[in-house]
Amino acid sequence: MTEVNDHKSQSHWAQSFARFRRDKLGLASFAVVMIYFIIAILVQLEIVGSGWDDFVDPMGFSPPSKEYWFGTNFNGQDVFTRAIYSTKVAFQVGITVSFISVFIGAIIGSAAGYFSGSALDEFILWLNGCIDAIPYLLFVAAISFILPDSNTSMYIALIATGWVATCKYMRAQAIQYKNYVFVEAARAMGSYDLRIILRHILPNTAPLILIEITINFVGAIKAEAMLSFLGIGIKNGISWGIMLAEATSEIIAGHTNNFLSASLFMFVLVIAFNMFSDALQDALDPNFQK
Amino acid sequence: MDFRYFMRRFINGITLMFGVTMITFILMVYYGPDQTYALVGKNPSPEDIANIRHKLGYDLPFFTRYLNYLREIITADFGYSTYFNEKVSSIFSRTAPVSFLVSLPGFVLGNVLSILLACLAVFYRGKWVDKVVMIFAVMGMSISLIIVLLAFQIIFCTSVGLNWFPVQGWDVTSFSSYLKYVTVPTLSTVFVALGYNTRFYRSIIADEYSKHYVRTAYAFGVHPWKIMLKHVMRNTMVTITTRLIYTLPFLLISGSLVVESFFNIPGIGRITYEAMTTGDLPIVKAMVSLTTVIYVGIFVIIDIVYRLVDPRVSVK
Repeated sequence: MTEVNDHKSQSHWAQSFARFRRDKLGLASFAVVMIYFIIAILVQLEIVGSGWDDFVDPMGFSPPSKEYWFGTNFNGQDVFTRAIYSTKVAFQVGITVSFISVFIGAIIGSAAGYFSGSALDEFILWLNGCIDAIPYLLFVAAISFILPDSNTSMYIALIATGWVATCKYMRAQAIQYKNYVFVEAARAMGSYDLRIILRHILPNTAPLILIEITINFVGAIKAEAMLSFLGIGIKNGISWGIMLAEATSEIIAGHTNNFLSASLFMFVLVIAFNMFSDALQDALDPNFQK
Repeated sequence: MDFRYFMRRFINGITLMFGVTMITFILMVYYGPDQTYALVGKNPSPEDIANIRHKLGYDLPFFTRYLNYLREIITADFGYSTYFNEKVSSIFSRTAPVSFLVSLPGFVLGNVLSILLACLAVFYRGKWVDKVVMIFAVMGMSISLIIVLLAFQIIFCTSVGLNWFPVQGWDVTSFSSYLKYVTVPTLSTVFVALGYNTRFYRSIIADEYSKHYVRTAYAFGVHPWKIMLKHVMRNTMVTITTRLIYTLPFLLISGSLVVESFFNIPGIGRITYEAMTTGDLPIVKAMVSLTTVIYVGIFVIIDIVYRLVDPRVSVK
């Protein structure tokens, strides 16, 4: 704790940054996440991974070689290129789902907390309870029925279930903050409720929002793999989940190219992101409950 | 006073039931799969289509259909599965015991082991034991269930690996055949559950362990493990039990959809997954509504029981 006291004049963000910089494991995991992010950008710019759908190997199921680092699949497509391309898909899903669901959860949660006890709060709590009660996979399946043959259903389902946890945390935070003096002062000066929520409560919960985004990001990537595996996730494309789904029928015959590459790529990213998320929690809010 | 609390909780439960049934109705029934074209013959006339739609009740107004759906849930009578041509209730009574047998060992082991690991981690807080357990937990929660399933299948069930257990299926006649088929699914679910559970239990046990009475007991010379197992565990039991009870309905009814469809085990999970892909609405409807209704029911009952046991508990 002594090092924290040395930086008394620094802002919360500067202190957090200083704490984060001392966390070697956190820095390493952040570096790994960044490498993946750069790969995703390169794929987006079509510099790498654009040949994921090309049939390069007439044989199929070639073992790993100099040319095909992870071998080829049943159709003779390069497994390594497909895994690289899937990095972009994972980031697309992760970023879209985590940003939108945390945004929705933060706004609704802070409104519920600020007006706690009111009809609005009761309604939001009721909505949270309803979504919690419906089995997640079946909820997604039901939405895919309504919007077949598009990835939109997966996004909608992941966001519809993803905002609830953020909403609950934010509600608890807002209930705490609304009795603080700075909120009372803002109210005394004639600020509107909306302005108090947007200008005073939300900025104070920024660390929590950042943490929630990382948690949601990992959750979305894992959920995408699960849904694609079940055939209700990514459609007309490739992702680690789809590669794993292809692997289920191959591994009994001893073809492990798809399995090894997809699980290696996915596991390294998720574990790095989880460790980065932990490090971020320790840095931003040492008292945050893991 | 207490009566008012119970009434409030009860009304809360009713409104939740209303919301849950309404959402599932809109998603699965109103906008759900349309069976018309599966049932009409070739080259149907508009009258044929209208007839089928009438028979299926698609032409009824929204609220009439919703009330019909509610009646199905209350009487637990969802009619016949369109795919198996068998009563949904009989399909359920056939598959539910299988799901229970598949998921129970994983559920028990997953929780018992992670509570023990969490105790160990808290006991040696900050030491290498704690670090090893927590790194293991992060790995467990980072690895996707599908990867674990595939990896364990390769290791235990194929000729590439040890080839100790059958690749998939469920041909249980005796206890030894039960062990043969249940081991790999159980190992996989336990592996994944350990990650999340250990972190959760560690945080609540660590909270309890840092309280003053623990320090006092320590000062009085009570053996540390006795403090942990007798006092700390007893005080965290309420939180642990709550978590266990909340996961129970999903365990017993939705089963492990992924595990069962992966290992081709004829439990509720696989039946539901197949119903999802074939558009067999009665089964999906029964599944979702029963899970949610039981979940909400347990939610309300737990609150009321806790209130009876400990009057300090109030609506969260």
